[in-house]
Amino acid sequence: MGTDLTRIELDQFYPHPPAKVWRALTEPALMATWLMTAEDFAPRVGQRFTFRARPVAATGFSGTVACEVLEADEPKRLSYSWNDAGRDDPLGWLVTWELLPEGRGTRVLFTHSGFDPDSPTAQLSRTIMGSGWPRILTNLESALT
Amino acid sequence: MPQRVKSTHADALFGALANPTRRDILDLLLSGAQTVQVIAERFDMARPSVSEHLKVLKDAGLVSEERQGRHRYYAIDPVPLYEVQTWLSPYERFWRDRMGDLGRTLDEMPED
Repeated sequence: MGTDLTRIELDQFYPHPPAKVWRALTEPALMATWLMTAEDFAPRVGQRFTFRARPVAATGFSGTVACEVLEADEPKRLSYSWNDAGRDDPLGWLVTWELLPEGRGTRVLFTHSGFDPDSPTAQLSRTIMGSGWPRILTNLESALT
Repeated sequence: MPQRVKSTHADALFGALANPTRRDILDLLLSGAQTVQVIAERFDMARPSVSEHLKVLKDAGLVSEERQGRHRYYAIDPVPLYEVQTWLSPYERFWRDRMGDLGRTLDEMPED
């Protein structure tokens, strides 16, 4: 977790070449095995598509994510917007996959950005997550088991 | 722009957790219940300040108080923390899980 309070950043190495990772990120049949069922997806700037997920009543999530491909630079970088199709006000989230060749594999830098910096609760959640809070929870879990 | 309901239990909880000193106090209490005096010494703070932080934590349901002889011991109450955890981390957890599944998909894909 970086100091930017409006994004989630994850960094993962896969022992597979970038071209293969790119296929997993962009072929709907493969996307469905690890992400979600994508309808109308194509790695083309401007392409609109949806992800189907389960609705989450607690957060008011409709179950359909409305997306648009914003960047598609094979096999380096893919980004799409991410909004709840059931909401009138856009979430304005942005999901970005960056593929960096590393040895015989690929380092994938994932970013989920656009958490509303003006929402105090959202901002607070970033603050807590980024300041040792996960460690506290880990300690707590081991203390309780 | 929808307005959130103010002064909910969640607000008290997040308000209590927003302060780094209070998170440090919670961290200390994970290793066992402590008296105000021990907490004050540990953080080099005046006892009234510690008491004030403990009151906020108590009001949020994060800390409970128990009298033993002449001393009052403060212990962490984990239940609200689980609430926070499930509320805060779904996105991280979601994407970590997805990236794990992506690894399995890649392992099972035939080579190009």
